[in-house]
Amino acid sequence: MKTPVGALLATLQTGLALAAAPYESTYVPQPAEATLIRGVAVLTGAGDALEQADVLLKDARIAAIAASGAAAEPASARVIDGRGKWLTPGIIDVHSHLGAYPSPGVASTSDGNEMTAANTAEVWVEHSVWPQDPQFGLALAGGVTTLHILPGSANLFGGRGVTLKNVPARTMQGMKFPSAPQSLKMACGENPKRVYGERMQAPMTRMGNVAGYRAAWAEASAYRDQRQQFESGEAEAPPERNLTLDTLAAVLDGEILVHNHCYRADEMAVMMDIALEFGYAITAFHHAVESYKIADLLASANICSAVWADWWGFKLEAFDGISQNAALIDAAGACAIIHSDSAEGIQRLNQEAAKAMTAGRRQGMAISDALAMSWITGNAAKALGIAEETGTLSIGKAADAVLWDRHPFSVYARAEKVWIDGHLHYDRSDPTRQPVSDFDLGQTVAGGER
Amino acid sequence: MSAFHAVKAVMIPLLWLCAASVWAELAIVGARVYTVTAPEPLEEATILIADGRVEQVGKDLSVPFEYRRIDAEGKIVTPAFIESYSHFGLIEIEGEATTNDAALLEYPLGPGFDVSLALNPASTLIAINRMDGVSRAITAPRPGVDALAGLAAAVSLGTGDFLLEPKTALFGHIGAASAELAGGSRAAVMQRLGRALDEAARFSPSRYRAGPGDYSRHDMAALKAFLRSGKPLVVGVDRAAEIRQAIRLADAHDLRLILLGGAEAWRVREALAAADAAVIVRTHDNLPRNFESLGARLDNAALLHEAGVDVVFTAAETHNARNLRQLAGNAVAYGLPWSAALDGLTRRAARIWGMNGVGTLTPGSIADLVIWNGDPLELTTWAEQVIIDGQAMPMRSRQTQLFERYQDLSKPYGYIQ
Repeated sequence: MKTPVGALLATLQTGLALAAAPYESTYVPQPAEATLIRGVAVLTGAGDALEQADVLLKDARIAAIAASGAAAEPASARVIDGRGKWLTPGIIDVHSHLGAYPSPGVASTSDGNEMTAANTAEVWVEHSVWPQDPQFGLALAGGVTTLHILPGSANLFGGRGVTLKNVPARTMQGMKFPSAPQSLKMACGENPKRVYGERMQAPMTRMGNVAGYRAAWAEASAYRDQRQQFESGEAEAPPERNLTLDTLAAVLDGEILVHNHCYRADEMAVMMDIALEFGYAITAFHHAVESYKIADLLASANICSAVWADWWGFKLEAFDGISQNAALIDAAGACAIIHSDSAEGIQRLNQEAAKAMTAGRRQGMAISDALAMSWITGNAAKALGIAEETGTLSIGKAADAVLWDRHPFSVYARAEKVWIDGHLHYDRSDPTRQPVSDFDLGQTVAGGER
Repeated sequence: MSAFHAVKAVMIPLLWLCAASVWAELAIVGARVYTVTAPEPLEEATILIADGRVEQVGKDLSVPFEYRRIDAEGKIVTPAFIESYSHFGLIEIEGEATTNDAALLEYPLGPGFDVSLALNPASTLIAINRMDGVSRAITAPRPGVDALAGLAAAVSLGTGDFLLEPKTALFGHIGAASAELAGGSRAAVMQRLGRALDEAARFSPSRYRAGPGDYSRHDMAALKAFLRSGKPLVVGVDRAAEIRQAIRLADAHDLRLILLGGAEAWRVREALAAADAAVIVRTHDNLPRNFESLGARLDNAALLHEAGVDVVFTAAETHNARNLRQLAGNAVAYGLPWSAALDGLTRRAARIWGMNGVGTLTPGSIADLVIWNGDPLELTTWAEQVIIDGQAMPMRSRQTQLFERYQDLSKPYGYIQ
């Protein structure tokens, strides 16, 4: 279908398009000026570091990365002197609740967890996301270009998660990352058994948790079989539409990625057995404070661990959290990610990665800055199924990048400029390039001043 | 490995641990030393420590032979850090009520709630945070059901006595949470606090009759003792309007005021400076997380300092009080001078809490200090040796033991090697 020129122009100006299909992304990249950053130090997000490079952002893509002075300068490019500064990929947070647990965090905005049944696989957290949450803009000022919003962890199956581009938008669909798969949030351990156990409902125990997952997967497998039998003509009618089972069946079909909140090593090992029994893959364990105890198993199973740098002790299943978790996971050859799960932490994922790296070094482990940068960029993109599109500074990928005023692992570093698809969405030196949400208008402090 | 080496490998750490508690005299040689009192650091300086105190600091000091010598060339030495709001010894696991003594969830006690009676010096949080340079803390009651939460204590994270001083401050809070318990309006909270302080000043146990909702005799006696003690009133408060009310309340009762949090304190910084009030800042607090914090911003500490208000720090998360230095570092990233950040972690905190002799490195100071391998506010720096009361602390914790157990997964499992 051809788009009339006028409609196309309107779309580019407003960033809002009509979806072709329900629930689809309507994100439209904003016009991107060709930009050449000269002489900048680069951490690629793929584990490499370049001391002085020229990086060209053009047509919303990374068009060139060359030794300093070698990149050809397009006639129309804006040139930025990057000497003494650092360029990284846009930061990616795989575990956020922005928009669903927004600020202000009052009862009427608490939309992050449908705590009404142990299995709420039918809910989609994107339907709770409030795009005016002022926290999105603050995360952008911290260099976050992509974030994955998950529902809460009170349920065995909490619902579907969504990956968003961190751009100002009037609708959630206008932020949705095109082509990114949805996720299924599952949760182990204390939370589900506490929330439902206290109501004298199942699950009340960890064994109740496991029975609950298995019963649901068994039902979903049967549902999927019935659907396939109908599609192949073996059955006359499809099974009655069931939104909960739709989500689980899509996991079994490999369309939705499993992001599993799980703290303890022994419980993660049980979850891996369940995945084996029902034939699905676990993409990442989240929080995973004990991943270091089974880093070898996680490496063989190709499961990422999305962890905090140093959180521990807020509940018993977090008592064995250690700051070397990410370092030990990585050293075992498994995929390590630093996530935030926090509207404050998301503003400083670079600092969290730095702390996790330092904790390893303090114990004598050799960890390069470039490797640690992959914990909040390349590895995160992999876990969200968007690694072909973003997560590293590689030629041809989206021009999602952050220019830091000094080494991003310094506590004093601040993001100066943040590009998403080549468009300068944040500029610390230009108040007109700092998003201000509707909520912040007319308040004591506008977004950019925070 | 020969038998000799095997024995040596075991003996060295043992000797070292013994040494930590036996050697009374230490010499730290060659470091850049931030005394906090001098405007510039001392380069390649020597610190002599004896009897738990700093004996001398300076260049070219001769080191007596009996002193244990710690080579600190290229390192940085600062006083150890003070966490101005914590629950050390009161909480082991946040989510487990049986390990949590920081808050009263019903009303048996208000201002008379004295947390020092519940302190647990065996808490694992102590060594974990000590390893990152935290030596002392205020351990305080949490906001509970009453606007006045109770009496805090000063504690040491060293290996000696945990409790330094009980009843070192009275903690309270003003805001939506306390308003709800006072009937639903912040005005009622202020009236209740004002009346209680008025009555406490002339309290007499034999004449006092508590009406419904009034403080008990015990609470009133505690409040009266507090008013006479000269200790500070610490008020958890965020909105600028309530901060002004807190200033008025403190002024009316001649109380020394310290704000906890103070998300919008920058808006009333002139009034705070005039009232000589200090603010315990949680630097990362920049979310408009409720309608009392709409003005929260990252340069709160910088703006307050510029106006002459004393700024100290809290991580407000006892398990990770070790992140104090990150919070102070972020205050610097957003405009606070580096020296003011160090001061807030050390001398200034000691001063507002009345911890005499702590927070500086001058002759006679209590020897609480840290040898860092770089700028202590930087994330890539760590504490190489923490010294508290002149004693070199063991640089081990439950977390280092977990690390050691799991760093090599091919080792036989389940025994301490």
